[in-house]
Amino acid sequence: MTFSPSTRTGLSAGAALLLLAALAIVPRFVQSPYALHVLILIFLSTIMGQAWNILGGYTGQYSVGHAAYFGVGAYVTVSLMLHRQIAPWVGMWAGAAAVVVVALVIGSICFRLRGPYFVLASIAVTEIMRLVATNLKDLTNGAEGILATEIPPLKFGATVITDFGSKVPFYYIGLGLAVLTILVTWAVTHSKLGYCFQAIREDQDAAHSLGINPTLYKNIALAISAVLTSFAGAFYAIYVGFVDPPTVLGLDLSVQIVLICIIGGIGTIQGPMVGACILVPLSEILRSNAVPELLMKWGWMNGESGIGLFLKENLAHAHVLIYGILVVLVILYMPEGLVGFLRRVTRGRRAA
Amino acid sequence: MDVFLQSLISGILLGGVYALIGTGLTLIFGVMRVINFAHGDIQMVGMYLTYLLFVHAGIDPFVSVLITFPLMFLFGGLIQKVFINRVLDALPQNQILLTIGLGLIMSNTAMLIFTSDYKILTTSYSSGSVKLGGISISQPMTISFLITVAVTAALWWFLKKTDTGQAIRATAQDRDAAQLMGINVKRMSIIAFGLGSSLVATAGALIAPTYYIYPQVGAAFTLKAFVITVLGGMGSIVGAALGGIIIGISESMGAAYIGAGWKDVVVFALFLLVLLLKPSGLMGKSNA
Amino acid sequence: MKRTLVTMALALGLSGTAWSQALKIGVINSMSGPEAPIGENLTNGIKLAEEDLKKKGILLQIVWEDDTGKPQIAMSAMEKLATRDGVAGIVGPYTSACANAVSKLAERYKTPLLVPAAAKEEITRQGLKYVFRMNAPADVYAAVLVDAATGLGKPKTIAFMYENTDFGTSTTKTAKEYVAKKGIQVVADEPYPKGAQDYRSTLSVIKSKNPDLVFLVSYVADAILIMRQSKEVGLKPQAFLGGGAGYTTAQFATEKAVSNFVFSCTQWTDDVSWPGAKDFGKRYKAKFGKEPTYHAACAYESMMVMADCAQKAKGDKEQTQAALRAGKWNGIMGDVKFEDYNGFTNQNNHQMLVQQLFDGNYETVFPAKFATRKPTYPFPGWK
Repeated sequence: MTFSPSTRTGLSAGAALLLLAALAIVPRFVQSPYALHVLILIFLSTIMGQAWNILGGYTGQYSVGHAAYFGVGAYVTVSLMLHRQIAPWVGMWAGAAAVVVVALVIGSICFRLRGPYFVLASIAVTEIMRLVATNLKDLTNGAEGILATEIPPLKFGATVITDFGSKVPFYYIGLGLAVLTILVTWAVTHSKLGYCFQAIREDQDAAHSLGINPTLYKNIALAISAVLTSFAGAFYAIYVGFVDPPTVLGLDLSVQIVLICIIGGIGTIQGPMVGACILVPLSEILRSNAVPELLMKWGWMNGESGIGLFLKENLAHAHVLIYGILVVLVILYMPEGLVGFLRRVTRGRRAA
Repeated sequence: MDVFLQSLISGILLGGVYALIGTGLTLIFGVMRVINFAHGDIQMVGMYLTYLLFVHAGIDPFVSVLITFPLMFLFGGLIQKVFINRVLDALPQNQILLTIGLGLIMSNTAMLIFTSDYKILTTSYSSGSVKLGGISISQPMTISFLITVAVTAALWWFLKKTDTGQAIRATAQDRDAAQLMGINVKRMSIIAFGLGSSLVATAGALIAPTYYIYPQVGAAFTLKAFVITVLGGMGSIVGAALGGIIIGISESMGAAYIGAGWKDVVVFALFLLVLLLKPSGLMGKSNA
Repeated sequence: MKRTLVTMALALGLSGTAWSQALKIGVINSMSGPEAPIGENLTNGIKLAEEDLKKKGILLQIVWEDDTGKPQIAMSAMEKLATRDGVAGIVGPYTSACANAVSKLAERYKTPLLVPAAAKEEITRQGLKYVFRMNAPADVYAAVLVDAATGLGKPKTIAFMYENTDFGTSTTKTAKEYVAKKGIQVVADEPYPKGAQDYRSTLSVIKSKNPDLVFLVSYVADAILIMRQSKEVGLKPQAFLGGGAGYTTAQFATEKAVSNFVFSCTQWTDDVSWPGAKDFGKRYKAKFGKEPTYHAACAYESMMVMADCAQKAKGDKEQTQAALRAGKWNGIMGDVKFEDYNGFTNQNNHQMLVQQLFDGNYETVFPAKFATRKPTYPFPGWK
């Protein structure tokens, strides 16, 4: 089958709308808070991955310091809510404004550097921010972190949502932010801005000679990416209700953000979504010891037998190990991510 | 005054070990242009090796370097051949993630084998010190500093005076040109990664009597290794040695005069300053 | 995507059905990640409790959940245990950050949560009915140590050196408030990032201030390093006060050259007169090949109490909560009763102990009714 480009765009837009409609009615049918929680985490990961994608995937600036923007978004939103009683959906814009400032400062430092030096500088800046957040106790409450207890009611026209203990409001906020992030990415990549970004990614010096100012466009990409990441941070802070320096400003988080994108497929709209849909459930399954549980349930393994006991005892401890092995395998065998891999496979089949 | 001298002395002694960690990384980066995020985890493997030799064979950590060094050379060479070699031309973020993945595998395998307990090696000299006026000089750290100096000198000799060493340096300078000149670039990469691993594992062995061992111990050292390497100039052995000492001193001065919580901020700020003002590092060529 | 969702929902639903008649109790603990070294002690304590309960005829099905030390993962675990696994109650999580994050969820799902060893005061200060805590919170750590020191001498100055983690800062914060009341002056306040190799410069700063008391909060590895280096730089206060954690471990005690005469506070020791404490220590050592920490004892007793309540309630969550509130126990942690006092809710008003190290042995020295030996004060100096 072959489609003209416009039909293909139409088809994928239709598919996207169908998917969105399906996701919108999920809470009607899925009551399990745990399943909703997993979906919310998937949305969160999608936002983080997609936001990084704009800078890393389309502009080719591989920041391993996106936790900085996530953390600032989270801290500003929660602090405003606790100390100034400002609702998080207002506070997150204040967070976004703060993040733009932070991003421009970071950009002015890091964008002077290229390749590995850029990566290292982005890590160093974020580490400094984590340490500062740990040490400035008056501002951030230091290592003790900030506990967000009460969320003010949210007014949507006539309806007022107050029940934030339930997953449903967070589900829709998360879904909404994810859709927003994806739309922004789509809009950016289909505009002149996007072409400038990609020109810089392909060859910065060539782009420069074509009259594209690399510093300007890199900073624009960073600002967009940082603001979207800060939304993810604000959403996380309100949802989890607790922020402290290692969880919202840690290197782990920065790596996690990059990983979502790389596993899914860098520089593609679908990549971060696919990455999130793989990584979140995978870590849940590995972590909660579901594999030996299922094997036992299906009678393939005896819980008291040697192997059964060994798996039961060790698999829960080994989930990060398995995670590491998967990362290595993906990088070695699908360096372009799952989306890129599938494209290559289907293209290969078409060619044959 | 005592505080100042004490901080200076401990900073220098600490810096010696940092120098060794940085030298290992700079060698790997110089030859392969790969940022090795598993560097600290390789150090961790070396530390557990030291621990095993000490507990089960009664070999003193400083002596066990003679065993750890060659074993870790093989270990590093193997990792290069099986994994790193395949991503030499890949995008930098893929190289980084690969080494992060390898690091996760190492640290979590160590956790399955040794549990996550802290292992502490207590030797007869672990808290030994020599008093000099108002300040004290740690005995084990002085010994490890001397060993560091010896190892660095030996490495410098190897790179300058032997054929293999010169081939490694040529590869580091220009990989393609080296290949054209008939140098077996692949072999040099394996040797460089092996040597880098040996060096960082040696550093691990040297701090084992005064520090402690646990599966995640590497993470903090990986970051430090980058700072040291960039500070000295990526690929420069002398630079890495100098960078190590500078970082050691700034850490301990920062802890004494600004506060222990801020000492890493001092280190990272120094790192950024060097990146911005002299990106090629203190000992690097200025056009890099 | 849709199919993934369906398969996921299926997978989640499948393993959620009831398994057997055994009592289901959830455990959330840091089994991997940076908190795992301490988390392991809790795991061991709970395993021992499982055995003992089996002997008593109470069959448990423990659902283990690893929170990897991250609050959002602890929340996942909590959601899963409360809504999918249908546990009667939950023991855990270990860290304060994780316990904090899940406490509101416990309330929401009306699932009793018994926190075994997290120190942050706020956990049981939010008026949550379903959140219980076994151990004494952070404020007691400092109070009991300073009381012991002021009872023994007349210290006028104190220096604080503590890891800049949640545990370290919150313990020190309450300690500073407490010494202010006692009229002791703070001459140094040095938070440090845990895992540093060299504390000599910070210690020589403290030495230059010549404090009467040195208050330390660290985990075991740093505790040993700090004391080794204190000896090196010749720091010699009237007393070293170790705020729990690292200063109460067997590993610390074995470093006789540097650990001698250090005071520390603890939730539990194996030589205290509480019923079964000695026996627990012995069996723990036999099974796991190392000395139990107070975390292990707290986790053990938490599981015993939780299982007792869950059994009485026949696995019903609300009745388990009622049983926890109503009950009274006397086990290896001494008297256990969950009470409301001083703004706390469902907090076990646990008596902390002060112990001192004598040649590698911990001896309880305070309060007097549990004392096994007379304390040595002031610190006689380094050997």
